Amino acid sequence: MGAASDSTQTADDEMGPLERWTHGVVNDQEKRNRLYKALFYVAAAFFLVTTLFPFYWLLVLALTPSVRQADWNVSIPLLGEVPFPTPQGFNVYAFVEVFQQVPFHLYVFNSFVLATATTVIVLLLASLAGYVFGRLEFPGRGLMMLAILAVSYFPPAAFLIPLYDAFLGNAVYIPFLDIELFEPPRLVNTPGSMIMPFSALFLPLSIFILTTFYSQIPDGLEDAARVEGTTRLGALFRVIMPLSAPGVATAAVLTFIAVYNEYFFSSIMALQNQPEQWSPLVGGILSYQTQYTTDFNLMAAASIVGVLPMLIIVVVAQEKIVSGLTDGALKE
Amino acid sequence: MENLGETGFAYLLLTPVMLLLGTIALYPLLRTFELSLYQNVLSDPEFVGFENYVQLFTGGASPRFPGSTTFLPGVSTSGSFPFVHLEGLLRSALAVTLLFTVVSVFFETIIGFGQALVLDQDFRGRRWVRAAIIIPWAIPIVIQGMIFYLMFHPSAGFLTEPLANWGLVAADNTLNDPMSSLLIVTVADIWKTTAFMALLILAGLQSIDRSLYDVAKVAGATKWQQFKLITFPLVLPALGIAVLFRTIDAMRIYGLIDSVSGCTTVPSLSCMVVATFNTNRGLAAAVAFVTAGVIAIAVLGVIYQQYKEGF
Repeated sequence: MGAASDSTQTADDEMGPLERWTHGVVNDQEKRNRLYKALFYVAAAFFLVTTLFPFYWLLVLALTPSVRQADWNVSIPLLGEVPFPTPQGFNVYAFVEVFQQVPFHLYVFNSFVLATATTVIVLLLASLAGYVFGRLEFPGRGLMMLAILAVSYFPPAAFLIPLYDAFLGNAVYIPFLDIELFEPPRLVNTPGSMIMPFSALFLPLSIFILTTFYSQIPDGLEDAARVEGTTRLGALFRVIMPLSAPGVATAAVLTFIAVYNEYFFSSIMALQNQPEQWSPLVGGILSYQTQYTTDFNLMAAASIVGVLPMLIIVVVAQEKIVSGLTDGALKE
Repeated sequence: MENLGETGFAYLLLTPVMLLLGTIALYPLLRTFELSLYQNVLSDPEFVGFENYVQLFTGGASPRFPGSTTFLPGVSTSGSFPFVHLEGLLRSALAVTLLFTVVSVFFETIIGFGQALVLDQDFRGRRWVRAAIIIPWAIPIVIQGMIFYLMFHPSAGFLTEPLANWGLVAADNTLNDPMSSLLIVTVADIWKTTAFMALLILAGLQSIDRSLYDVAKVAGATKWQQFKLITFPLVLPALGIAVLFRTIDAMRIYGLIDSVSGCTTVPSLSCMVVATFNTNRGLAAAVAFVTAGVIAIAVLGVIYQQYKEGF
C-alpha cells in the first residue's frame, strides 16, 4: 500500500488540479469517501430546499402588503437579475386580517370537529375489525380483508352521485329492483354528510394498522382478563387496546391528518362553502381564492394558518406517521 | 354474545364495519352503475341501456361537458396510442388522467428513491430532514393547490416569466392553458407526495441485512456495484407496492386541479363527474363507472400482490 501511494504521489506532480482530483477519487479510498460525503450533503440540501421553498414563498407573500407592485427579482453580482421572491414589507397584520375578512377560525374549527369525530368513529370500528382479523380464525377472513382493501381504493367520484342524492333527502332504492328502502334525512350542510364518507374512506388503513398491533398481544393476557370475569369486548377495550397504545395513536394521527387534508367531499357536501354549513378549511381557503381575488397576502396568510396544525403534528408525531404509512402498505 | 362461537362472534363484530362500507361504498357503486343506464334521471328517468357509454366513447356527449375536447390533439393522430379510437372529451380526460399519473408517479419514484437513500444514512439532524421531507405530504390539498396557484398567478406569481422564457409554460394566461396547467399540477403533486414514496422505499432499505454490505466490501465491490447487486433488487418488492399505491391514488386526481386551474382547463376523470353530476346524472354516472373501472385495473394489481404474499 505504501509503495502504491508513493507512485501516485510522483504522478500527481505532473497533472493539473482537476486531473489530479479525478485521479485521486478513482484511486484513493479516502478521497472517494470524501466525494460521496459531499454528494450526500448536496443531495440533502437540495431536498431540503425543494420541499421547504413553497412554504417560504407563502411567508413572503403573506408579509408583502401590496403583492401586485412587488418585484420578485433579486440582483446578484455576476448573475444579474435572478427571479427569487423576497418579502417586500413586514405586514404581520395580514395574519389578523385573515380572521376578519372571512370567519376563518370557524372553518378551522369545523375541520377540527370533523377530523376528531371521524377519528373516534374510525378507531372504534377499526378496533372491532382489527380484533377480529388479528386474533380470531374464521372462514372468509382473507376474503373479507380483500373486500375492505378493494373498497378503500375506489375513487370517491364513483360513490358521489348516489351519496349526494341520499344526503339531499331523496329516497334510497335497492339498485336494479326499484324497491324504495327508506327516505333518509337531509344531511347536506351537516357534519354527518362528511363524517360518514370520511369514516368509510379512511377506515381500511386503520384496520390494517390495528390488525397488526392487536395480533401481537399474547393470548395469555387476554385469557387472564377473561378469567377475571371481563367479557370479550371488555378484554378488547380494557386490555388489548391500551397495550397497543402506539398502534392506536398511529391510526389516530393518520386518520386525523387524512380528514383535515381531504378535498373531494369537503368541497361538495357543504353546498355554498359557508362556515354555518359545516364547510371545513377547504371552504375557507377557496372563499379567499374566489371572493378576495386580489388579496394575495391574505390567501397566503390563510394558507399558513391552515398548515400550522399539520406542521405541529408532523414534528411531534413523526415516528408514528412513518411507521403507520409503512406498516399500512408493506405488511412484513 | 358470550355464547357465540368464534365465527359468529367475528361476524357480529364486523357488522358495523360492513354496514358502513356497504352504505358508503358498495351501495353507491351499484347504484352508480344503475343510474348510468338511464337518461333524464332527475325529471323523467328513461332506460337507455348503454347509450350513455356509447355517447361518451364516440364523442356525442362532449358538448354537455365543460372543457376542451381537443386537449392533447396529438394523441388522436398517433396510431400507437391505445386510446386512439376514443373521441372527444373522454379521450381528453383519459389522456389527462393517465398522463398525469404516469409522469408524476415516475418522478416521485426517482426523487423518492433519492430521498430514501439520504434518509438511510446516519447523520446529525436526520430527524429534522425527515420531518422537512414529510411536511408537504401532510398539508391539505387545497393549500398545496393555493401555493402553486399563487406561484403562477399573472399578477402575484414569479415563476411564469422565467419558465415561459425556457418555453416550459405559456407566457399569458398560464393557468388557463391546458398543457401548462397540467405541467404545474403534475409538479405540485410530485412536490407533495414524493415523501410517501420515500418513506416506503426507506422501509424497504432498512429491512436489508447490513452484513450483506460487509461481505460486498470484503469482496471488493464498489458502491455502485453494491447498489446494483444488493440495494436495488432487495428494495424492489417495496418499490413495486409503493408504485401501485401511488398509481391508484394519482388516478383519483381532482382537488389539486380544482384549486390550481379549474376542471375546465385540465379535465381529469373525477373532474368530469363533478362537473356534470348536477345537470346530467346518467352521463356523470357513466363517467364515474368508467373511472372506477380504470382504477379497478390497478387495484387488481394490488390484490394479486397481496394474494401472492399469502393473505
